[in-house]
Amino acid sequence: MISLFTETFLGVFRPPFRKKEFFQQLHFVANTSLAIIVFCVSFAAIVTILESSFHMKLVIQNDSMVPGFAAVLILRELAAIVTALLLASRIGAGYAAEIGSMQITEQIDALKMLGIDPINYLVVPRFLASIAGTMMLTVIANVFCLLSAILVSQLYLGFTFGMFISSMHRFVHFQDIIFSMIKGACFGAVIPIVASYFGFNCKQGAEGVGHATTNTVVLASIGIIVVDFILSYTFSHIY
Amino acid sequence: MIEFKGLIKKFGNRTVLNGLDLIIREGEIVFILGTSGTGKSVLLKNIVGLMRPDEGEIWIDGEEVSRFSEDQYFSIRKKCGMVFQQPALFDSLTVFENIAFGLRRHFRLSEREVTDRVQLALKLVNIQGVEQKRPTQMSYGMQKRVSLARTIALQPKILLFDEPTTGLDPITTTVINHLIQDLSKQLKSTSIVVSHDMNCALSIADRIVVLDKGQIEAIGTPDELKKSQHPLVRDFLAEVLSL
Repeated sequence: MISLFTETFLGVFRPPFRKKEFFQQLHFVANTSLAIIVFCVSFAAIVTILESSFHMKLVIQNDSMVPGFAAVLILRELAAIVTALLLASRIGAGYAAEIGSMQITEQIDALKMLGIDPINYLVVPRFLASIAGTMMLTVIANVFCLLSAILVSQLYLGFTFGMFISSMHRFVHFQDIIFSMIKGACFGAVIPIVASYFGFNCKQGAEGVGHATTNTVVLASIGIIVVDFILSYTFSHIY
Repeated sequence: MIEFKGLIKKFGNRTVLNGLDLIIREGEIVFILGTSGTGKSVLLKNIVGLMRPDEGEIWIDGEEVSRFSEDQYFSIRKKCGMVFQQPALFDSLTVFENIAFGLRRHFRLSEREVTDRVQLALKLVNIQGVEQKRPTQMSYGMQKRVSLARTIALQPKILLFDEPTTGLDPITTTVINHLIQDLSKQLKSTSIVVSHDMNCALSIADRIVVLDKGQIEAIGTPDELKKSQHPLVRDFLAEVLSL
């Protein structure tokens, strides 16, 4: 997998640059995943702010810090990780099944016979599209998470829009948004590499494709969580 | 000319090719027969670097290619056309795009020339009017023919067929077998055909190689093999002679 990552990374700078495939994949990653991401992260944000308020009231009998606390949690963690885990299931499984099917039906060998490097043709556009798409979706997820949190805090917790923003100002820094985007990009890099690895090593038959997709979702999810830990630990030293 | 010298290929503890020596002369049609798992497809894939031997040498037109890098293999793959066991057509492309894909990659041709070469290749395999169809919209037999068209459109010097008629009905099988013979003559190509079909081998091969456990058990012209007393060759002939 390390060798696949290295070859893919080097392939990014090596022509031919496959713009058409990149935009097709970007559409698949970003456009077709947008609705499900927005729906899921919005509910995750609602649960987060309601739970935060409930526990703060229970422990310190005061939930005035909830908007700021929730905003920090959303920007630093929630939006990026929920987006990435959803994409790992959706596009990770899709990529593994697609490349796995190509492997077992000898389409990968056919590509090589036609002088096409399968990594340059299949992995590089997916790798770049996944990085760009996950980063964009993370930004959008952040916006929708915050909007959901603002809405719930107004309707159920008694905070006005102004109170939410002013509480958020005290806790949130500009670098939180940048770090969130960096996380999105790194998570986006994990998914196609894991999926392509299991796709290229797919065993014959429907069972083989099934294993490739299952392994992709499991390992990509684990990879995302590990990368999240490493990045969060690193960023904590920069704040 | 293609020459294998002491070729060994293993998968884990299993030795698939066990010190194979074989010379295939330019322009001949060689059939490789053998029971399943005897290394026939592995042999073909070793020629074009889709698999690499563990030991031994492969010489193609005076060059030892078995240690070539992927980039170096490009020139060898350009010389060879391979029809896979599966049609191996790209699902996301139309029939036209599938055939044009390699032409655009290997040659500097105008779009008009690409179109002409695609249509000629489809005509040679006796299917026309399917250019805009996707592989999934066609029968398995049609897909096999398109796969053949994709290979011959590149006019390769060496044609490799990996069980080209497996899974096809008898009529399409006969058509494909005649195509192999006609194309080899028209393109003046060296053809290596991996098959189980002794009947076809006897009718169109210049030489037949019978493999077993990664080694050559029998080799010769169809007439020579008909007289062979080797048990495996007799088994293969039994079905044909009983017809």
